[in-house]
Amino acid sequence: MLHTWAWVAWLIAAAVSAFTIRNPLYLILLLGVAWILYTTLGRTTPMGSSWGSFVKLGAFLFALAIPFNALSIHIGQIVLFRIPENWPIVGGSITLEAIIAGAVSGLALLAILVVFAAFNAVVDHYQLLRATPSFLFQAGVVISIAITFVPQMVLSAREIRQAQRIRGHRFRGLRDLLPLVLPLLANSLERSIQLAETMEARGFGSAVSLPSRRRALLSQLGLLAALVGVLVGLSLLAFYQQGRFWAWLLVAIGVIGLLALFASSGRQVRRTRYRRPAWHARDTAIVLTSAISLAIVITTRLAAPMTLVYSPYPPNPLLPSFQPLVGVALLLLIAPAIVAPGLDRPARDTEQVA
Amino acid sequence: MIEFSHLTYSYPGTEATILQDLSLDVVEGEFLLVMGPSGAGKSTLLRCLNGLVPHFYGGTLSGTIRVDGRDPVALGPRGMADIVGFVLQDPEAQFVVDRVEDELAFALENQGLSPIVMRKRVEEALDQINIAHLRHRSVSTLSGGERQRVAIAAVMTLQPRVLVLDEPTSQLDPQAAEEVLDTLVKLNQDLGLTIILSEHRLERVVQYVDRILYLSGNGQPPILDEPRKVLDRVELTPPLITLAKALGWSPIPLTIKEGRRFARKASHRQPPARRTADRAPASPGANPNPPLSISVKELGFSYNGHPALSDLSLDVRQGEFVALMGRNGAGKTTLLKQLVGLLRPDQGQVQIMAPASGMAMDTRQASVEEIIKYVGYVPQNPNALLFNDTVSQELDFTQRGHGLPPGNHNALLDTLGLSEHANHYPRDLSVGERQRVALASILVAEPQVLLLDEPTRGLDYQQKDALVAFLQHERARGRTIIMATHDVELVANCADRVILLGDGQVIVDGPARQVMSESLVFASQINKLFRNPALLTVEDALDLYASGEPAHA
Repeated sequence: MLHTWAWVAWLIAAAVSAFTIRNPLYLILLLGVAWILYTTLGRTTPMGSSWGSFVKLGAFLFALAIPFNALSIHIGQIVLFRIPENWPIVGGSITLEAIIAGAVSGLALLAILVVFAAFNAVVDHYQLLRATPSFLFQAGVVISIAITFVPQMVLSAREIRQAQRIRGHRFRGLRDLLPLVLPLLANSLERSIQLAETMEARGFGSAVSLPSRRRALLSQLGLLAALVGVLVGLSLLAFYQQGRFWAWLLVAIGVIGLLALFASSGRQVRRTRYRRPAWHARDTAIVLTSAISLAIVITTRLAAPMTLVYSPYPPNPLLPSFQPLVGVALLLLIAPAIVAPGLDRPARDTEQVA
Repeated sequence: MIEFSHLTYSYPGTEATILQDLSLDVVEGEFLLVMGPSGAGKSTLLRCLNGLVPHFYGGTLSGTIRVDGRDPVALGPRGMADIVGFVLQDPEAQFVVDRVEDELAFALENQGLSPIVMRKRVEEALDQINIAHLRHRSVSTLSGGERQRVAIAAVMTLQPRVLVLDEPTSQLDPQAAEEVLDTLVKLNQDLGLTIILSEHRLERVVQYVDRILYLSGNGQPPILDEPRKVLDRVELTPPLITLAKALGWSPIPLTIKEGRRFARKASHRQPPARRTADRAPASPGANPNPPLSISVKELGFSYNGHPALSDLSLDVRQGEFVALMGRNGAGKTTLLKQLVGLLRPDQGQVQIMAPASGMAMDTRQASVEEIIKYVGYVPQNPNALLFNDTVSQELDFTQRGHGLPPGNHNALLDTLGLSEHANHYPRDLSVGERQRVALASILVAEPQVLLLDEPTRGLDYQQKDALVAFLQHERARGRTIIMATHDVELVANCADRVILLGDGQVIVDGPARQVMSESLVFASQINKLFRNPALLTVEDALDLYASGEPAHA
């Protein structure tokens, strides 16, 4: 099993590629990489079954993008047929170029979804949640409760709908929502209060030492100053051409300040982790390959933006170009499938309650 | 270990004290049962032990509490978390993390313990509660009994000195309840853990507890004594003890085994003839062969490919009182939902006879609106339907839904003992009262057939008696009643026909007396005591003794 952070590194590299690349050859390569990862690592995981729905959604978007683009863009030399000009928006010539361009944007959407689908299938969600940094631990607990809470709420909602239906409740207007929403709300509130009670009884919150008033005020002022620094720096960068060095410096100081504040408030949480998953050499390998892949894609994007983007419209050639270096960058993303197979994940949820 | 002295407490916003000048002592390793009618302050007392009262609830408290030398009033729940483990009744509402093992570690992480200590504690708790096989499971896939045991394990990881449980089995079926109570007995006997438990199912625990604290709730002073002495003085008792008290058996038997000693002498006797016959039809002089009310033919149904009912046929006649029994997942609730049209058959058919027209409605064609004119369904959880500001508005809502003119509900509320609550907020009422409000808000539409799903969950003996009386009254008025339940004593008291479901099929269908006396699992306490198929309830047994010589022996 790979470390969660190694997977996060992979996701960053893969997602950046999926978001920046608009060339069908690279996109198909990326799709292949994600598919191989899923088949080697993600098929047997608890979330593995969600892969199919991601792919279906992607395929639907792909199928939708083609007619959408073909009907709304009327540029191109290879005209397939014409729709009367006086029809709003769709009127004009339908060209092969527009269809190809639609397919490429559809492919890009599909690639983004499939990258996330692969990540979703292979990563351990509980580990991901538990990897939240200390200063965010309360947010982590909230999300974890929500994950536990939502399935119960769905069941509860169904129960309520049926119970009210038996009392002759019919849905005719917004007012008729009340008999459904009020019990759901009341049930959830009652449940939350009970949960709060058990959490309190189990010592939740005793891990946070409350800072003194002065300390709290100082850290709030620090937060404000750091945020102002970042904002001012960024707006200088956006609107002025001069003094870029000072602007970057301001942003950097702001970011460092923020990180320091987070770290210090994280230290006030005297909370330990049940299990810190071990970091292995293979995790380092994944982070390195992902970093190299990311670096190649970003430098290509900055140095020669057009390499990553393909446009079928004239005067461009109809066939997409292919840069071997970018291909290598995408192939590097397959690393987890090479180093990780055979590492068993703990069996889980194999038994289901009828 | 635990000392209360002159404890008096009232909730915020009320003048009335719920605990009044309470003093008690619990020694280390004791198993104490807290009992009493709902609203007597059981939960309040338990919450005093770890400071949830008054820290979480507010209110005014006087007197002193000491638990293992600490003062929960001063320290609050966080300060008590490591010595008092606290488990609530609803197993669904106590989980923070979805995975069993991480849920066990949650409290430890909050205490800032080192990972090595945590690993050890989690392993130990998994073994103590015997749930190691569940460690990687997601909480949402567990059964009720398993969840409650995980909740117990999750507080055991903190290695508390005292385990406090507030009606931990009231939401569970008998099998799951047994799992949980067995776990507690084991913890008490093997580890010497001090356990304080409030519980309705006395028959399962009285033989294991050291003492009982009885809170009367009506201003009488509480009773704290050993089980036999307390049970002798209180009215909320299981059938075995009720019978023993009525017959003057001494010492009071706490288990069937102890009771057999007294009952053996009587079991060879033949009961009076009228008891051997099955219960008479609803009203004397009524049609001996009443018309059909519901007819199910070869019904098959599955949830997303999982078969729930298969090839199920049964007929219910007007005025019958039918109990559907069987283990969890046997298809009881699914069948009830089929009868009211919330689910429709995949194969076969369900027909509802409409008395008004004499026509049969097929649930595949009829709309729910048509069916509910004749069939009323009270779901398991009354909270699913209560949402209005007052009890009478709940009834008005159902009447409007049925297109009936608004009527006067006093008579109905009166028979259900709810008249004083007509203008109260339904969700503020006790579990038993809420159950009755749900019942009233279905009955107000006067359905010919009444379907009940687990109507006694969470009720104490008195509330159960009140429900039995009410259902018998409704049946005498000619209403057909079909109820799904695990409650053997309830069935023994009022049903005249039992249908045992297993795996979505009818296993046994016959007169209550016959089905129940031939079964080991579904035999009532009195039935087990006398091993006599003719005796199901306390009244049956009392009749037997009244007919022969005096029973003191």
